[in-house]
Amino acid sequence: MLNILLVDDDVEFSDVVCHIVEFLGHNINTATSLKEAHQWFENNTFDHVLLDFMLPDGSGLHLLDHLKMIGQSPKITLISGHPSVKGILAEMCEPNVGHLLKPLQREDLELVLNGPKKTAKKVKPSGITCHFGSLIGESEPMQKLYTMIERVAKTNANVMLMGESGAGKEVVAQAIHNASQCEGPLVASNCGALSKELIGSELFGHEKGAFTGAIARKEGVFEQSNDGTLFLDEVTEMPIDMQPNLLRVLETKKVTRVGGNKEIPTNCRVISATNRSLIDLAQNNVIREDIYFRLAVFPIDIPPLRDRKEDIPLLAKAFLEQLNDENGTSFSWKSEQLKELQNYEWPGNVREIRHAIHRAFIMSDPQSSEITLPDNLESPFSRVNNKTAEKQVSAGQTIEEVEKELIHATLDKVQGNKTLAAQMLGISTKTLYNRLNAYGGIGEYK
Amino acid sequence: MSEENNEAIMLNKLVHDARAPLNRISMNAELIKLVLENDMPKQKALEALDKIILNCQQCSESLQNITEHNNG
Repeated sequence: MLNILLVDDDVEFSDVVCHIVEFLGHNINTATSLKEAHQWFENNTFDHVLLDFMLPDGSGLHLLDHLKMIGQSPKITLISGHPSVKGILAEMCEPNVGHLLKPLQREDLELVLNGPKKTAKKVKPSGITCHFGSLIGESEPMQKLYTMIERVAKTNANVMLMGESGAGKEVVAQAIHNASQCEGPLVASNCGALSKELIGSELFGHEKGAFTGAIARKEGVFEQSNDGTLFLDEVTEMPIDMQPNLLRVLETKKVTRVGGNKEIPTNCRVISATNRSLIDLAQNNVIREDIYFRLAVFPIDIPPLRDRKEDIPLLAKAFLEQLNDENGTSFSWKSEQLKELQNYEWPGNVREIRHAIHRAFIMSDPQSSEITLPDNLESPFSRVNNKTAEKQVSAGQTIEEVEKELIHATLDKVQGNKTLAAQMLGISTKTLYNRLNAYGGIGEYK
Repeated sequence: MSEENNEAIMLNKLVHDARAPLNRISMNAELIKLVLENDMPKQKALEALDKIILNCQQCSESLQNITEHNNG
């Protein structure tokens, strides 16, 4: 990190340069005149001075004389709007004085402050295939997914994507859209994020004056995605009383804007997504049956990351490659780090691993090419989710399994105190011992 | 000082005045690139865009001054 002084009387310019230089990781102070610059040097030293050639109280060259006088020799970059200044500098033969020509560019600043960019070792193209322009993974569940995408892309059937949070529903929607090669755009809308009042306007649009605040006519997402794909995320979170309106559009393929009376034909594939399970959908009445059959003509289950762990190294490499490209770095994975990533369950799926890699990337020493993984990969959310998941009872478990799980969870909670655990479970301590003996797990809690 | 010299100084000053807003435009554009590339608050980008618009007007005025100076 360098300590920089910028001497320029253009305050607005200085302000922006400060933002950029700070982003480049340096400290910067500003002076608007030679006098202010002299004052800064009274009590401070600087590594680099960015110096305007023409200042209100003299030429920037006067500061060079002053610095010689006080025995300071920071690197100087004169900034001027005139190429002839370069000639003057060459005559001065000062090795630590450089020159930049206005208008400046960020690369110019980077070059004078950080020196020529180290040519990042060209990491060999990893050869990772990006299926349909957005999906990464060669595992069996992904191959099945690719086949389904390929099949459905050729039709205009509506698709419902089901999968855990972070599994990549929007990415799959993008893949289907890409594979369809349709003319229109992919428009995404989150049904869970819209209030009951606004959802009609968002989906179907509104006419000017349809309601307070409708100051202009607005096209809804159905119209916007004409000849393309409409992605309705969290469709099961849409208020149930709004669903008949959606059903009507799906059935008639015509949309009427809120406050309007003209039916506008729409032609788009609807891809909807939910992170609820089929059983949840059926039991909890979150989506009307008629809508479900319209939306889920072709349901697709997106596999959670834990079911395709062999794809983790590919994803990790692809994400790191992307970060390297964006930041001009050349970090790479060690095989034991990839194994560590593979051993973790990733309850937050691809989103979680992507986040973890980004975090590790930021934490790693930019001077080295080794990426540093945190000691603990778990995110606070995954910890909470894990605990809830552990407690969940699902069909197919035997009473004995559930009982065993409950006893262990209770013992964990009371740090193995069997009397207390028995009290909490509403059984005698003797029964508790008997159960533990039967599970063969008493040793853990001795 | 000859009239020719005065003329050159005046023209240099006018060109300097026109270059200053260009310089601000360039730096503000670089700042917007940074904001977009790094997911920074979009407010910063909007402010920079406003400054660019303002400086375009200033630059235009400066160029007009140069034209008037040449014609005058």
